[in-house]
Amino acid sequence: MTLTHTQAPPAVAARALTKVYGEGDARVHALRGVDVSFATGAFTAIMGPSGSGKSTLMHCLAGLDTATSGTVHIGDVELTGLGDRRLTQLRRERIGFVFQSFNLLPTLTAEQNIRLPLDIAARQADEALFDRVVDTVGLRDRLRHRPSELSGGQQQRVAVARALIGKPQVIFADEPTGNLDSRSGAEILSFLRTSVRELGQTIVMVTHDPVAASYADRVVFLRDGELVTEVAAPTPETVLDTLVRLEA
Amino acid sequence: MLRTALAGLRAHLMRLLLTSVAIVLGVGFITGTFVLNDTMEAGVAERVTADAGKVDVVVLPKTGVLPEEVLDRVRALPGVTEAQGLVRGGAPVLGKDGKTAGDFPTTAVSVVSGRLDRTNVVTGAGPGEDDRAAVLDENTAKAQGFRVGDTITVLDHEQNPHDFRLVGLIDTGVDQELGFTGAVGFTTDTARRMTGVKGYAEIDVAGADARAVAAAVGGAYTVKTGAELADDLARAAGVENQMITLGLLMFGLVAMFVAALVISNTFTILVAQRTREMALLRCIGATRGQVFGSVLLESAAVGLLASVAGLIAGYGLASLAITVLAALDSPLPTDAQAALTPPTVVAGLAVGLVVTVGSAVLPARSATRVPPVAALRDHAGEPAFRVGLVRCGIAALFLVAGLGTTAAGVFVLEPGQQVSLVVVMAGGVLTFLAVLVLGPVLVRPLSAFVGWVPRRMFGVPGRLAVDNAARNPKRAATTTVALTIGVTLMTLISVVTASTRLSLTVKLDEQFPIDYLLAGQSRDAVVPRSVAEELRGRPELDSVAQIRQVTARVSGERLSVGTFEGPVEPYVVAGSMAGFGPGEAALSELTAKALGVRVGDSVAIETRRAGTASLRVTALLDGNQSTLPPVTVAQGPFDAYFGAVPDARVMVNVRDGVPLERARAMVDAAAAPYPDVRVSSSTEIRGQFDETLDMVLMIITGLLGLAILISLFGIANTLSLSVHERTRESALLRALGLTRSQLRRMLSVEALVLGLIGALVGVVLGVVFGWAAMRAMLDGAVMSVPVARIVLFVALAGVAGVLAAVLPARRAARASIVGSLTPT
Repeated sequence: MTLTHTQAPPAVAARALTKVYGEGDARVHALRGVDVSFATGAFTAIMGPSGSGKSTLMHCLAGLDTATSGTVHIGDVELTGLGDRRLTQLRRERIGFVFQSFNLLPTLTAEQNIRLPLDIAARQADEALFDRVVDTVGLRDRLRHRPSELSGGQQQRVAVARALIGKPQVIFADEPTGNLDSRSGAEILSFLRTSVRELGQTIVMVTHDPVAASYADRVVFLRDGELVTEVAAPTPETVLDTLVRLEA
Repeated sequence: MLRTALAGLRAHLMRLLLTSVAIVLGVGFITGTFVLNDTMEAGVAERVTADAGKVDVVVLPKTGVLPEEVLDRVRALPGVTEAQGLVRGGAPVLGKDGKTAGDFPTTAVSVVSGRLDRTNVVTGAGPGEDDRAAVLDENTAKAQGFRVGDTITVLDHEQNPHDFRLVGLIDTGVDQELGFTGAVGFTTDTARRMTGVKGYAEIDVAGADARAVAAAVGGAYTVKTGAELADDLARAAGVENQMITLGLLMFGLVAMFVAALVISNTFTILVAQRTREMALLRCIGATRGQVFGSVLLESAAVGLLASVAGLIAGYGLASLAITVLAALDSPLPTDAQAALTPPTVVAGLAVGLVVTVGSAVLPARSATRVPPVAALRDHAGEPAFRVGLVRCGIAALFLVAGLGTTAAGVFVLEPGQQVSLVVVMAGGVLTFLAVLVLGPVLVRPLSAFVGWVPRRMFGVPGRLAVDNAARNPKRAATTTVALTIGVTLMTLISVVTASTRLSLTVKLDEQFPIDYLLAGQSRDAVVPRSVAEELRGRPELDSVAQIRQVTARVSGERLSVGTFEGPVEPYVVAGSMAGFGPGEAALSELTAKALGVRVGDSVAIETRRAGTASLRVTALLDGNQSTLPPVTVAQGPFDAYFGAVPDARVMVNVRDGVPLERARAMVDAAAAPYPDVRVSSSTEIRGQFDETLDMVLMIITGLLGLAILISLFGIANTLSLSVHERTRESALLRALGLTRSQLRRMLSVEALVLGLIGALVGVVLGVVFGWAAMRAMLDGAVMSVPVARIVLFVALAGVAGVLAAVLPARRAARASIVGSLTPT
């Protein structure tokens, strides 16, 4: 960890992050002072039992939700305290998303969906990258199809391509295989893995599936809103062991 | 099920409130119309009943007037305490400019005193026994700026001016004639002297019964009781009120139809959103009938509540209208208190309920088609829309029928007939139905068309918005058709008024190729020949033409017979007027047709001085264009037949280069000595036309505004529902970097596209049917499409659509991204 800090600045870093929902008796501490950083060019998984705060952590890291206290940095930019306009711009330029339920726009074709973030930001697409990404995820012959004409796995591949196309500083993936059968899920995870290896992409993935987590370089574990442990170079077995220990 | 329906109602309160607005507005308008009608009728009844109470029996002439001796006979009857003859005849009041006031000669009436006095003096007093005193109706006094105490000048039947002291102002009440011409009241003697009428228009009797009076006067006269007279007066006034009421109800129906579309759309969307809820009900054992019933029940509750609100709104609207009308001194009877009568309440509630429940039937039926298993599915998905053959077939059927009917009305039937217009309108309704059925098919291409610019102007939000607009073609079609109705009617009215204006201007230019016209108030020949002779000598004038005419029997028909002096274009369509002279006559085509004569035939004219003259028809004239009388003879023979009749019209053209003000001053000076000779210019006449047309256009536009307003609520409603459905998509876009303002813009553009589609279809329909209606109404109509105004309509429809999107867009932009993305 220390090495990573001195060699290259982390892509994402959170310090003393807390998040409280509700008032008075209904107060829920979703995050209780989380310190974590995610190295550039690394694939990190966030795991934890239901209600551990892993989704909340991701939302706060991605600027979709605002933390109650603490700081979040994406690269050299501090998110905490940014207004909606600046946050939106930051998402446009530095963050990619892959969601559990694909979330493609039904009116757009696969290609249009892939290019959507660039269009929104009014940026020129890197055509070489576009071709490479499309070929990697194997969507070349599906570009003119609309989401309703694609299988779930294909839709999620579109979503992955959409996240990659803008060369974001970090991609947040929220249970990207949650709605997929195991073969499609494995495909998606390989694409994510490949993009980290070949494109140097930084990926932070929330998952509850030990197999999915084993594709990552490192897994961090949350429980009751606190970072409890982490596993480097995980295998499904080590992840499962850790989970079982945490649940106990 | 009742509880479920009511719970549904509560849960969707906001949405249903928006829907209710449509019903409230429609019902309010209809109720308001009824209340206004009732109030005006009550006002009439109050007045006539008060009048009738004063009179026991009235004697009216069947034709002409009642001679003096009838009054003597009535007075001699036993039991008659009082009998008064009422004089009525023309007596033009002069305005402050020394010219006859108003467009028609004022009617002089006798004002009697005592119990038979039915004059309603509102300021000052009646003339009493003072032969130098006069009263004037309020409207004339106001228009001419006379006050009690002023001296007014009135022309007698020989055009001699007499001065009177204005002692009071009267209200002409429900008397249609007096309301139209204005009234000046004198003592009976003065009235008789001024009008030159020998006899009475009416004899009022007190203290006798109708049978005795009828026996005394004989069968040549009508005898009525006071109550019968009141009924007659009320009925005559009621006809006018009913016309207004019917006209207003037409607009009310249009508004209700639009409201029905909006309601139907809302319920369709509500049902679609509650697919899972409906399916759950089916899962736990609700029958199809119960699901159907619960949707209908919900609509009935909404309809009832909204109708009640509509009744209240209508009452307020009518009260406001009455107050405004009263403040404007409108001739409508406005003194009664506005009242909600039971029939009005029943009608308002019935219309609101029937329309609401009726509009919800189709959506309710589709609710019954939800299979129970839908409760277990995650997402119902958007209904796929396919262009059905049945739909296209039905639309084609309507379209062919509609256009065929319209074409028949335009090309086959004779223009100017009422039936042609009715046929064209029927064709319009059929064509509109075709558009209604075809709407969902048209929406996609139309949105691509109107979305061309926004797609390029507004970047990604624009592109997405245009796609979204046509995403659910059925919904988009219903939403936009509601707007189409209003825009169609507005465009149609604009085209018709603009074309009428142009047609009249063209006709005016043809018929009135003159700078100034000198003529009397009515068609009487009142311009002394010396006026034209004096003008003819002026070097500033290019031409002076005179028309004189009298009414005479021609081959048994009473027609206008006249002649001309000076340059007049006759517009000969058959025969020739070359060497027109004694023994010859020129007839307008229409007159020749009516008399059944052709060029070469002869007609017999009963003259005043030369017995019956037989004349040969040498020419037929185009009556639409020619300014000559229907039967025209040469000038010499005319004088021999009818004597030195004054001119009816003198038409003056100014020489080029002469300043118009100077010419006008000269013509005015020539006419000044004759109070009943009025000078008008073609510009003034055109100005009057324009004013009238503008007024009509303004009123109709205002009334149609209601339908447009309702359709805007429809757009707002559809959008807010779409926003609701696409919460997740919006959140995704925000996550991908769409700013709040871009999201708002996206929805605004969607509304803009919807508004423009509606307006565009409306403009096309409006222009086509405006043209057809014009062709059917007026022979030789000249078409004019008020492009600027129509562009304005389209732009306003777009702007209105954007305004309708403000609230839904704000809501969408405020939604939290995390909350919306997380599946619930």
